[in-house]
Amino acid sequence: MIINFKGAKTYIGTGGKSLDNTKKTLCFLHGSGQNHFSFIQQARFFAYKGYSVIAPDMPAHGFSDGNPCKSIKENADWISDLLVDLKLKNVVVIGHSQGCLVALELNRILKSTLEALIFVAGSNEIPVNQFLLDLSKENPQKASQMMVTWGHGIDGDMSINKWPGHSHYGEGNNIMCMNKSTALKYDLHSCNDYSDGIDAAKNVKVPALAVLAKYDQMTPLKSGLKFVELIKNCETHILDCGHFLPSERPVELNSIINSFLSKLK
Amino acid sequence: MSENYKFDTLSLHAGHIPDKETGSRAVPIYQTTSYVFNSTEEAASLYNMEVGGHLYTRISNPTVAALEQRLAALEGGASALACSSGMAAMHLVISAICSSGDHIVASSKMYGANINLLQHTMPRFGVNTDFVNPNDPEAIKKAIKPNTKLVFGEVIGNPGLDIMDVPEIAKICNSKNIPLILDATFNTPYLMQPFKHGANIIVHSLTKWLGGHGIAIGGAIVNGGNFDWGDKDKFPTISGPHFALGGISFWEEFGPSALIAKIRAEGMYNFGPSLSPTNAFHLMQGIETLPLRMKKHIENTHSILDFLVSHEMVEWVKHPDLETHPDHEVAKRILPKGSGSIVAFGIKGGREAGKAFIESVQLASHLANVGDAKTLLIHPGSTTHSHLSSEAMKEGGLTDDMIRLSVGLEDFNDIKKDFERGFKAVKKLNK
Repeated sequence: MIINFKGAKTYIGTGGKSLDNTKKTLCFLHGSGQNHFSFIQQARFFAYKGYSVIAPDMPAHGFSDGNPCKSIKENADWISDLLVDLKLKNVVVIGHSQGCLVALELNRILKSTLEALIFVAGSNEIPVNQFLLDLSKENPQKASQMMVTWGHGIDGDMSINKWPGHSHYGEGNNIMCMNKSTALKYDLHSCNDYSDGIDAAKNVKVPALAVLAKYDQMTPLKSGLKFVELIKNCETHILDCGHFLPSERPVELNSIINSFLSKLK
Repeated sequence: MSENYKFDTLSLHAGHIPDKETGSRAVPIYQTTSYVFNSTEEAASLYNMEVGGHLYTRISNPTVAALEQRLAALEGGASALACSSGMAAMHLVISAICSSGDHIVASSKMYGANINLLQHTMPRFGVNTDFVNPNDPEAIKKAIKPNTKLVFGEVIGNPGLDIMDVPEIAKICNSKNIPLILDATFNTPYLMQPFKHGANIIVHSLTKWLGGHGIAIGGAIVNGGNFDWGDKDKFPTISGPHFALGGISFWEEFGPSALIAKIRAEGMYNFGPSLSPTNAFHLMQGIETLPLRMKKHIENTHSILDFLVSHEMVEWVKHPDLETHPDHEVAKRILPKGSGSIVAFGIKGGREAGKAFIESVQLASHLANVGDAKTLLIHPGSTTHSHLSSEAMKEGGLTDDMIRLSVGLEDFNDIKKDFERGFKAVKKLNK
């Protein structure tokens, strides 16, 4: 659905169902240079399971206009305001990559609204090398291509996909091309500059789930495992794929999330 | 991990890794119509397009999917769909995008069946086409109307071997927000990848060079994922609500792969032109050697061109790699590895000479296919177009004396000897 939010056209994927703010809401937060298409196989799946789903395109991403957020905190404030605007309560926030850092900050802002946190291919810090930071400014398309290649495991290299006929690389490159050209630069800088992850992770009081990827080159498994140690009682799973876990292992990820959600009150 | 494999490697591996249960190195042939659901919930998820997977082989099949994913990788596309023939692919694309009242701009120099579909069949369903010279960008621009939904052409035209200036035409289409759809059968992704030149959708007859052995009919659509279907008034079939699946908008749900999702959910479902898993396997076997074969096809084609150009019994030779071809400069620019392995040439002595030549060669096969590993020939004047007068043939861009040659992979000297046998018979006739 498209709404006017903070004076800009804003697209929110709802998984093909109308938004119902009386239900428990799953809020999917995309990663750097991504948009709601990161969750093609999650948004629709959970919307058809009876949840209310929102997968917003952050400003300047996907179908949304506006200026890109320039920090993780700004991203979190934007999402927090959006949840208020949409009158959503009982929210489970599901972040992928950069979305995990935004989720950590949301944990600090949202009070009774937040029911649980799910971290997919996440960590408490996402340092970005200078080469990629520079490239995202000078040639965002090239930077996107490199991220798509690094971000996938063997399924990307070999064009293996659960969705018949789809290519991770071809689809991934085009998803990133749908964003405004400055979006990636601000996303990567936001990740690189974020330094409150340790405190934020220790501050998580709601039920938490982390699904990490064995062959993740963007937020390496080692970093992810240190991160989950900071969170009290974080249920943790490791899948054998790359960073783009939602499209590489959709069935397994959905099953883990579904099981976790069923255990919430 | 993250190797970014090159074309030759992808030709062999893309779309398949050995499964853990059997370790089968080759892609297994999943000769099945349907797939057991683990639960009613899983079945519902597949029907609702919540997650990917297989429901019924008319819609998708694991062997066919391996082929599709290999094609998507080789073309650099977002997604692909394989079907029963190249013509099925063409019809699936058009019916996914166009509705009654819509308009198409197409090249006037294309394969007869493509022309027939657009000129005679689609108008019965309210979709009309204006045909224009593919080498005239201004004419294409002028032919585009408010209700034009796509521009269609062949990278290398069949049978005239005209080369479409893809980057120029793509610029026009892009400026008008109209998808450029190309039949890339004659070039294959080995010679040219149209998405790199701005095209949006590719249609293939896999029967030809991609399959390469004349044993299986098949077609495919490869979606570049680089077209914005978001204008609901212009492309309601892709971005507007679908009649099923809860009024799904394929564009909003699948973005870069919206077109393929639409075709799978409607075209494959309602028309049913599915590719058999066994044929998908045969076609993939062909693709494994595509780079090797294409190199040899081009090498032999250049040898044949040298031979024919200097032969006393040959009136004319047409191939885009020859400087005499009107599109030679475009060919050099967009097809630097070579412009395919179809050659047209005229034999001194007209229609009877063509017939004598065809009936005298022994190695080259006289038939109506192209892109086989074996050398193939046909003389339209005495076969496919024998009912037409010389004048009528000229109107269609053909001549009495024309031989269409699909250069194979045999030793060049053997092809040469075979052709000399044919020319000898023509000489006798001319005496």
